[in-house]
Amino acid sequence: MDTPVLLIALPLLTAFSLGIIKIFSKKMVKVVTVISATVHLALIMSVVREAMQRPIVYHLGDWDNLLGISLVIDSFSAMMALLIGVLAYAVIIYSLVYVDFHELKYYVLSFLLIAGVMGMSLTGDLFNLYVFFEIVSITSYALVAIKEEKASFEGAFKYLVMGMLSGAFVLLAIILTYQVTGALNFAQVAANFGDAPMLVRQTIFVFFLIGFGTKFCLVPLHAWLPDVYCGAPASFNALSSGLVIKASLYAFIRIVYLLFGMTTGISQVMIYWGVLTFLVAHILAYQQESLKRLLGYSSIAQIGYIMLAIGLGTESGIIAGSYHLFNDGLMKATLFLGVGIFSYTVGASKIDDLKGLGFSMPKVSFAVVIATLAIIGLPPFNGFISKWLILQAAWETEYIVAAFFVPIGSLLSLGYYLKVIKALYSRAEGELEVKPIDWKLRVPTYVLSAACLVMGIIPNLSLALITNIPKFLLDSSNYINLLLGR
Amino acid sequence: MRKFASLVVVVILSSLLMMTFLSLSTADYELSEHYINYGVEETKALNLVTAILFDYRAFDTLGEATVVFAVASTIAFLVPKRTASMISARFSIIMQQTTSLVIPFLFIIGAYIIAYGHISPGGGFAGGVILAVITILITVTFGIRYSDRQVRSRIKSFMESFGAMGFVLLGLLGMALGGNFLANANSHFNLGVPGDLISSGIIPHLNVMTGLKVAAGLSIMFNSLIKEE
Repeated sequence: MDTPVLLIALPLLTAFSLGIIKIFSKKMVKVVTVISATVHLALIMSVVREAMQRPIVYHLGDWDNLLGISLVIDSFSAMMALLIGVLAYAVIIYSLVYVDFHELKYYVLSFLLIAGVMGMSLTGDLFNLYVFFEIVSITSYALVAIKEEKASFEGAFKYLVMGMLSGAFVLLAIILTYQVTGALNFAQVAANFGDAPMLVRQTIFVFFLIGFGTKFCLVPLHAWLPDVYCGAPASFNALSSGLVIKASLYAFIRIVYLLFGMTTGISQVMIYWGVLTFLVAHILAYQQESLKRLLGYSSIAQIGYIMLAIGLGTESGIIAGSYHLFNDGLMKATLFLGVGIFSYTVGASKIDDLKGLGFSMPKVSFAVVIATLAIIGLPPFNGFISKWLILQAAWETEYIVAAFFVPIGSLLSLGYYLKVIKALYSRAEGELEVKPIDWKLRVPTYVLSAACLVMGIIPNLSLALITNIPKFLLDSSNYINLLLGR
Repeated sequence: MRKFASLVVVVILSSLLMMTFLSLSTADYELSEHYINYGVEETKALNLVTAILFDYRAFDTLGEATVVFAVASTIAFLVPKRTASMISARFSIIMQQTTSLVIPFLFIIGAYIIAYGHISPGGGFAGGVILAVITILITVTFGIRYSDRQVRSRIKSFMESFGAMGFVLLGLLGMALGGNFLANANSHFNLGVPGDLISSGIIPHLNVMTGLKVAAGLSIMFNSLIKEE
């Protein structure tokens, strides 16, 4: 089948064509956007279904495995693709109403961003990964600044500086990897990497950790994120928290497992750094008054959980981590889209501004509350299941300290999310006048929030997707054989 | 004191990095050996760089072109729309006449480098930059108003989108002919004789598309950046 590459090519083609379409007819821009997003979602569904039965390898330009670039869709990539498809579609529909600034550029950049994230998750080539990483970074800077307010420029500039630094580290790591292995193809790199001297391998690991870590907000490197989220449009926040950060994390996980394997040293670094990340982020989130900053810190915290789970290096750990990655994408997108509705209709940006909205916008508030409870980790929502799995996996491998801090983290997040819920359902001083909310804003929020509930009640839905992930991560020879077609 | 502390940190870290570089091992580069030995035979492009850029790793090139596209469209909206007085000094007539004289030659060089990208050194990126120099020269010598009148920004963004779209469509052509995305040498194209202008399948066409895109993108960037409040 030819569909895998279309997952990347279609959004690219749409982004390039929008500029030409606008010259002929302004109305067509939105129509084409919606059609393309729908087709994209359908393609993703079909590819994911295919990949669940049998992993797909696609050779671009029909070159032999080693000569050209290949796309590899194993279960982990398929899960990322599914997450991208669902969130991107929801956000595009949401943007039809929400975005009233630089509309054309917004859609062009969004499609490029989606293509980039998709490329990062599907590619089986180290340099190709970097190319898509750059596309994602540049479109992200632009989308942060797109509202042209003071806060958004400040955020975009910080993001730009940090992003360039991280890009330099990643590129240097890739160059060093090429130097010692003579290949860029993941399989070949993984096969040759063991011969490299220890010092070089350590340096490469540190560079990848710092490079990608800046992007997915390991704690001392996280400072850009809250400022960026403050000035950005809510629809970008949802994409960023759900996809951009996650794609960097995905790339890091993929590289670590393929190149280094989960040795005890790396495992401990990831576990304790993860614990540190979510503790610090939770404590910082507790002091925030701005909603977007609070959600930003909460995003950082969830990255910590995923790091911890993946770092365990066991089958249950990987399942728990990847499941949490998927769930966090859904929950964060719901929250950001909900908060976006609040700021779009009544201009609420602080927690105090939410007072009374629970009564004047009952359905949207309810959707937000569901996602809040899910992210705290209360049953019966999806967040509970993935956090429980993380706790269990940490307990099994006898990282008792890490396991102990997982519920502590949930407790801390209960503290600050309760403030949000309390504000929503407390009486406002004056009467709030609420305009009717367009369905394009409401429906994506409802759907994503319903997904949080459904995935919590029927976890088998997604567990079927992720049970095979450890097979290709834990034993890198499986992945190598898959890519080399052995 | 803080400067001293940072200096110490920098020295320590860079010496660690130097140690890494000194202990670097060299792998056997089978991959590049293969490109060098079989590149011309397989792609029929005499210029190996182009062969790698537009055939073996054409997907990377599509990504790089997308980066240029994204940057150009970002700069175009981020920079203020107002056309302020150029920072220009007034140039004498000699400068203006020379510029007008040089432009046709520049155009020919740029077009040559793009069209012969698969035979001699050059290609879409290099040729596109030379084409962009034309509009940059016009902007610098005659001012931005005149430059924008000569090559309207709408036309430039059309060219840019067209070039980028063309790249993807040429890639899809490979799929339509029963191969994979961006299939060239392994597809059913008649590759021709190495050294001919019309040879090596879609490589020259990809070069033209990239050239258009880079030329338009760079001149959009330059003209947007030179406007100031």
